Amino acid sequence: MDNLTRRRFLSLVGAAGGSSAVYKASMAMGLLADTGPMARLDIKSAGRGGKEVVILGAGLAGLTIAYELQRVGYNCTILEASHRVGGRSLTLRHGDVVDEMGYTQVCNFDDDPELFFNAGPARIPGHHRRVLHYCRELQVPLQVKANINRSAYVHESDHFGGKPVRLAEYVTDARGFLSELLYKAVDRNAFEQPLSEEDRVRLKELTQAFGDLDQDGLYKGSSRSGYKSGGFLGHGELKEPMEFGALLDSSFWRRGMAQSENFDWAEPLMEAVGGMDNIVKAFARQLKKPVVLKAQVQAVQLREDGVDVIYQHKGQRRKLAADYCFNSIPVHFMEGIPNNFSQDYRDALNAFERGNFFKIGLQMRERFWEREGIYGGITNTDQRINQIWYPSHGIHGSKGVVLGAYAFWNQSHFFERMTPEERIRYAADCGERIHPGYSDYIEAGVSVPWGRMNHMMGCGSRMTPENEERYFDRVRQPEGRHWMVGDQISYHSSWQEGALASAEYALNDFDQRARAAAAISSKG
Amino acid sequence: MKYPLASCLFGVLLAVFMGPSAGAAEESPVSPDDLVYCTVCHGMQLRGNRNIEAPRLSEMDAWYIEQQLVAFKNGWRGTHPQDLIGMEMRPMAAALNDTQIKAAAKFAQASRAPVPAATVDGDADAGRTHYSTCAACHGVDASGNEALGAPPLAGLNDWYLVRQLENFRDGVRGSHPDDLYGAQMRASAALLPDDQAIRDVVAYITSLQTN
Ligand SMILES: Cc1cc2nc3c(=O)[nH]c(=O)nc-3n(C[C@H](O)[C@H](O)[C@H](O)COP(=O)(O)OP(=O)(O)OC[C@H]3O[C@@H](n4cnc5c(N)ncnc54)[C@H](O)[C@@H]3O)c2cc1C
Ligand code: HEC
Ligand code: HEC
Repeated sequence: MDNLTRRRFLSLVGAAGGSSAVYKASMAMGLLADTGPMARLDIKSAGRGGKEVVILGAGLAGLTIAYELQRVGYNCTILEASHRVGGRSLTLRHGDVVDEMGYTQVCNFDDDPELFFNAGPARIPGHHRRVLHYCRELQVPLQVKANINRSAYVHESDHFGGKPVRLAEYVTDARGFLSELLYKAVDRNAFEQPLSEEDRVRLKELTQAFGDLDQDGLYKGSSRSGYKSGGFLGHGELKEPMEFGALLDSSFWRRGMAQSENFDWAEPLMEAVGGMDNIVKAFARQLKKPVVLKAQVQAVQLREDGVDVIYQHKGQRRKLAADYCFNSIPVHFMEGIPNNFSQDYRDALNAFERGNFFKIGLQMRERFWEREGIYGGITNTDQRINQIWYPSHGIHGSKGVVLGAYAFWNQSHFFERMTPEERIRYAADCGERIHPGYSDYIEAGVSVPWGRMNHMMGCGSRMTPENEERYFDRVRQPEGRHWMVGDQISYHSSWQEGALASAEYALNDFDQRARAAAAISSKG
Repeated sequence: MKYPLASCLFGVLLAVFMGPSAGAAEESPVSPDDLVYCTVCHGMQLRGNRNIEAPRLSEMDAWYIEQQLVAFKNGWRGTHPQDLIGMEMRPMAAALNDTQIKAAAKFAQASRAPVPAATVDGDADAGRTHYSTCAACHGVDASGNEALGAPPLAGLNDWYLVRQLENFRDGVRGSHPDDLYGAQMRASAALLPDDQAIRDVVAYITSLQTN
């Protein structure tokens, strides 16, 4: 946009919406930075003799740091409390253990590589350039994953007769109604500042295009919803628009209609072929020294020239003396792990609040949704399960694993307080209202409450905006030779890209300090 | 460079860390394999972690730990609809058999960790007056009385004590018909007239443990 047209755009927005809309639009126009591929990290070599680096936690952040530092000659040891590598990057397959505290489950899906469930990360958007950089470098095959599917459903228990409505119909009608109102407002010149005749004509055309209005600016249904009948061998007959009042009364426009417009959820998204944990597995394969599993870190002691880590492994307490430490342990645990951090650093770490997510995966004996014209994507419901996800892979295969519930933040507690069997039954009942016969298709199921997972107890730690202001910079600065890392130390917690952004930041910070120290010692 | 400054700072901190209370870790038993998960919430050596709302259990009398694990297991604690925090603990106890309950209690009693810092803002002097009724069961020095089932209160996190007194007062704890010990304590908590009294008595108990 050149300057002139840009100003005209803003004044148009101003005429319609007042100054706050102008402000937001300008912000959006200025925020086009931070794109393009990630540059390969350039870290100074460790030099002869190597140096010991200890990394706490074998999630994506820890693995990345080990991968980058071993490349330039550091001797990296990863201590991981869990029985497995990957942290929250968890894909469940036949026989896998779900290490929920109080209820250990074993995944009872069929022994078939196509039948897996991404219990943690599941989606990668094209602008998560760090994730994509490593997937390219480590050759992790990716495929497109349907996220928003206009053929999937919107379901509201108390609206539209409790029957699922196709997303296409809901969105098309909502846009049609709004466009018609706006068209009329332009016609009446109902704005704070008068519009030029030319702008009025264009705006009316825009509303017509946006909402599929007829030539008089009226919304009378649209083929964007699909046809009621015909379309191939006969004329396509339009569906009647829903009642505007019913649509207004419903709640999906509030909860989820803009999902696909969320930058991180915008189509097309990607996933790792065969399961998202193929990303962490690819990192783990590169390590010179395998991750030490079942090694719970129990104390972190900073020294003048390094960090001592006490951990328990095979029934014994051990000590590892390292030159540097990168720590991805969930921050809320650090208060329970003795350390000699300064008070301000501890205050900053304690300023985080635990986040939470909950997912259910259900193995279905038939891919019944495909018979309803749904291939991948998400159905949204106002029931507590929130969503049903249909797999994008294995189309027309015999079985499939469906996401049967996805609760966000505090909604997760409702499911946490149930036994695993109760959760599956609950999800089955909810699914039944959307797909009659749903329960009968369920052959196996697992539930993963992140707030109850061993060594995790949450996902998506965050601070209040005031605390962010106060502490964020402190938590990403090192304490002695100890860096706190992970998606938690980013403005994108609960995204892998956040974990990698934090790892990149810590590595660059580490490198700058190492270079500065080398420069000083070579002078002295 | 930041290091020179940082290093002299850490010299000081290190001395503090190595002081008497911090030696605790080495004196503590290694966590039994099947009880490692207790430390995930309650912290290493069961030192307590406010971020999880899980209290310090280190050095507590084994008989009382057993009593509470049984209370959770029986559903006397952690089942009231308002006891959301107790519900975090309950499945842990429900999964333990009698032998494991004994082992867990032993582990807690043998664990060593620093006495927690005071966090509750209360008037210990005013609390002393309220405490006189408590002393009958919990002892003048709050060291507990096994015969009465009344636990030592010294060494527990003050924020946890406040929550329990509120729970007893509000019937969130101690209202199950089979929970006889809980019922006794519930009656006693009712003697504390308001939130301020709760904070004061807790401040007094905390002052006992630091002396
Ligand atoms: C339900 C859900 C959905 C998600 N969806 C997406 C998505 O679609 N796309 C996306 O990009 N991201 C998604 N994420 C986020 C993604 O999973 C995380 O951002 C990423 O995996 C975090 O990696 P990390 O290394 O920062 O932390 P973690 O993976 O949490 O690693 C921390 C590690 O520390 C270990 N640890 C804990 N205590 C100790 C101890 N005392 N000693 C030693 N080790 C210890 C833990 O076991 C763990 O392995 C999702 C997450 C969840 C839970
Ligand atoms: C998921 C986190 C979690 C785990 C794991 C956990 N606890 Fe707890 N525990 C808690 C919380 C939270 C409380 C506080 C409950 C309350 O305030 O009512 C608690 C309370 C207790 C109490 C009551 C203390 C008192 O003074 O009355 C005991 C005893 C206890 N836990 C023992 C254990 C043992 C033993 C284990 C391991 C077998 C364990 N806990 C594992 C979270 C946990
Ligand atoms: C009649 C005897 C009695 C009196 C008096 C009494 N208590 Fe108790 N208290 C108990 C018993 C018994 C328990 C254990 C309850 C259980 O097993 O759940 C208990 C438990 C507690 C607990 C819970 C500790 C924990 O670890 O969870 C607190 C806190 C407490 N008492 C504080 C007080 C205070 C403060 C007073 C005075 C206001 C008081 N008690 C008076 C008998 C008493």
